Amino acid sequence: MVTLSAQHLVKRYGGVVALADGNLEVQSGQVVALLGANGSGKSTLSKIVTGVVAPNEGQLLLDGQATSFASPLVARRAGITAVYQELSLVPEMTISENIWLSHEPMRLGRINRKAMQQRTQALLDLFQGTIPASLIPTTPVYNLHPDERQIVEILKAISQDPRLVIFDEATASLDSSQVTRLFELINRWKGEGMAIVFVSHRMDEIFRVADTATVLRNGSHVGTVDIAETSERQLVQMMIEGATAMEREAREPVAASAPIRLHVSDLTTEQLRGVSFELRDGELLGIGGLQGQGQSDLLLAIFGAIPFQGRLALGGKEVHFSHPQQAMKQDVAFVPGDRGNEGLLLIRSILDNLMLPSLREYGVPLRMQRARAQAGDVSDDLNVIMSSLDAPVNSLSGGNAQKVVIGKWLLRDPKLLLLNDPTKGVDVGAKGEFYSLLSNLRQQGTAILFYSSDDEELLGLCDRVLVMHDGRISAELAGENVTRENLVSASMGAAHHEAKPPGASQHEEPTA
Amino acid sequence: MNQAKFRRFLARNSYLFALLLLVVVVLINYSRQDNLFEPSVLNRNIRVFLPLVILAAGQAIVIIGGGIDLSVGAMVSLCNALLVTWITPETAGGDILLAITLVALVGMAAGLLNGIAVAYLRLQPIVTTYATSFIFAGLALTILPRPGGELPRDMTRLYRRLIEVDAFGNIPIIQDIPILREIPPAFIVIAIVLLLWAFVRQTRLVQYIYAAGDNAEAAYTTGIPVQRIRLGTYVISGFFSAMAALALTMSLGSGSPTSGDAMTLDSIVAVVLGGTRLRGGQGGIAGAMMGVVILGVIRNIISFYDVPTWSQTLVDALIILIALAGPGLVRYISDLIRRYRLQGGRAA
Repeated sequence: MVTLSAQHLVKRYGGVVALADGNLEVQSGQVVALLGANGSGKSTLSKIVTGVVAPNEGQLLLDGQATSFASPLVARRAGITAVYQELSLVPEMTISENIWLSHEPMRLGRINRKAMQQRTQALLDLFQGTIPASLIPTTPVYNLHPDERQIVEILKAISQDPRLVIFDEATASLDSSQVTRLFELINRWKGEGMAIVFVSHRMDEIFRVADTATVLRNGSHVGTVDIAETSERQLVQMMIEGATAMEREAREPVAASAPIRLHVSDLTTEQLRGVSFELRDGELLGIGGLQGQGQSDLLLAIFGAIPFQGRLALGGKEVHFSHPQQAMKQDVAFVPGDRGNEGLLLIRSILDNLMLPSLREYGVPLRMQRARAQAGDVSDDLNVIMSSLDAPVNSLSGGNAQKVVIGKWLLRDPKLLLLNDPTKGVDVGAKGEFYSLLSNLRQQGTAILFYSSDDEELLGLCDRVLVMHDGRISAELAGENVTRENLVSASMGAAHHEAKPPGASQHEEPTA
Repeated sequence: MNQAKFRRFLARNSYLFALLLLVVVVLINYSRQDNLFEPSVLNRNIRVFLPLVILAAGQAIVIIGGGIDLSVGAMVSLCNALLVTWITPETAGGDILLAITLVALVGMAAGLLNGIAVAYLRLQPIVTTYATSFIFAGLALTILPRPGGELPRDMTRLYRRLIEVDAFGNIPIIQDIPILREIPPAFIVIAIVLLLWAFVRQTRLVQYIYAAGDNAEAAYTTGIPVQRIRLGTYVISGFFSAMAALALTMSLGSGSPTSGDAMTLDSIVAVVLGGTRLRGGQGGIAGAMMGVVILGVIRNIISFYDVPTWSQTLVDALIILIALAGPGLVRYISDLIRRYRLQGGRAA
């Protein structure tokens, strides 16, 4: 049995109050959802509980005893661990080395590799069927996809036999089959007496897995409610002061007469196996499906960032980009999913980041006044909450940082916008602003290709959705067919279908 | 699948390029100097390389741990000055051992200073160790203002003489390989260091060094005492510097307050040649040791070709630059081929 109670925790970074009044109660056999918009203090509260940061005020009671954790190590010894959103894996090490890092099975003062690998395999088996079989304990972590890394991260926490685990946005990069498996596991662990804190932006997940929900707003505890007696709307209401929940975008189909902006035929890369489609000006075309089915490759290939075979026509003209710069010259813009690594210079200022793709426009020497004015306009349009244009990007919250990533491309007035899971880890309020931005762009005639791992977004926003599976388009949903049922069955059903395609039977013809 | 496995093998064994390069340069050297594998010639070469081999091993550990140590050369000078001050031809055996132990402690203390500044005061490793190198160099000059000193003859002889072994006396073919009958002592030192490394590689401490160097934040949140590990790598480097100074002093037979100054950058070049990236978390000391031998052999080769003395440094530097660029060039070319294949298919 374990009970943890955080009472009136306060954390200040210099003058900024990250957490004003953090309260949290959790005990064995319970899943508590920790909710709040980005910047509401969820991460800070989790970090205090796991000993990563020390609170300025307030107290932490573990099994009724006042405690304080000087470091993550101390918290871990007390049986408290976390699955982090900012991944805590060491890239050059293998899966098993990462999972057992700092609690390696030892034998005669040396690491017992054999035992370590057996135990790792046993842990990987928990997710059997939702991860590729090629994933073995000795695979180096730098070779893994984001969803696989996240799973290793989860296994790493579990390998410590914890009494309390905090899942901090742990499902953000998982596909739906992996999420389902994780929830089965969470229910099992819960039954075995584990206490679980589950931080997520995805409402449906919270209703699937949590028992109670604790809501934070602007660093303060708003309330704790029983999930069974609460509606989604009520929770969202608690999170976003006064404002109403996001309304679904009214879908107005694009005129069939609109000019074709992008024509893709038989696009092939290492991951893609012949993808063809058309995208019209002013259309918002969604790409869905399970994670890692080639969606990112598709966007990267169109942007010229990875080599490909096949034909691309942009505005009727055949093109074959071999470098992103060529794509940018043709007014194509790409918003990456991993904003930390691919989208932003983290310690440079917001202004520097916004100007970067457009430096050529500002001449030599740079006309800074003009750049500043335009950057100011864009950040006002996007409603970026910042102290000034000169503040470093890493001082922004996740949602605001993502706005900067998009803003830097909007300065270039793109005709074709490629979005690679842009709202991952972004809070509800910022998502709403982002959606209205997309609909503005559409009205101006921008063609948008939008990959999202969040089915709700695709359903709510897109005219058409291409569902991808195993490097191919397994279904195209349009108009009234864009429903949750069709989307899920296309991404899952295709998987069943794929197991026995008519042409592939020659491989495994049973010897009759 | 097999190709992926092969690529993974290459990535995990970062010293393979160094090994290849080592074979190539040794063969070139051999073509110019056919007595290269004679025990006495080999002994002379290895004897000259040994101080830098030891130093590069220490440097590799610091770099793997995510730091860099620009003070190793100055620590060698300091320890060299102390050794010839404390040991004279008249010093008794027991006192010699005491002096060596003290010098090892001085090296570790110097490393401790670096480590505290970098790990706990969070100063930049490059600047910090550059600054402390002047402290150590200054101490060396104070202790031994001008070159001098002398070691007991037995010590230098021990270092120079080949060790005769008879272990393979009964096995006919092996018995005929001269180098197996007379082994240079430096060989034994290198073998001991490599064996020790192979042993400690599978301990928690070394695992932590790699983790801290690769992703310090991840290591910290995993519960690894990153600061203490960082500190440890500098102390190890200090100890290795003292041992390098001992080898250097035994090799030279005397002391000089600037004896180690040129070794700092060589040690870093050797680490990189050995396949260890400067950003940490990857590589190993076997590669660094090979890097030293590659450097030394390249310099040997240059001396056999009639390169004018004043352009030797230039040629030396150019060859080293090409060797350093090697792994990157291989990757670049294979990338080009991959691109060409994919796009060539379109044209066809």
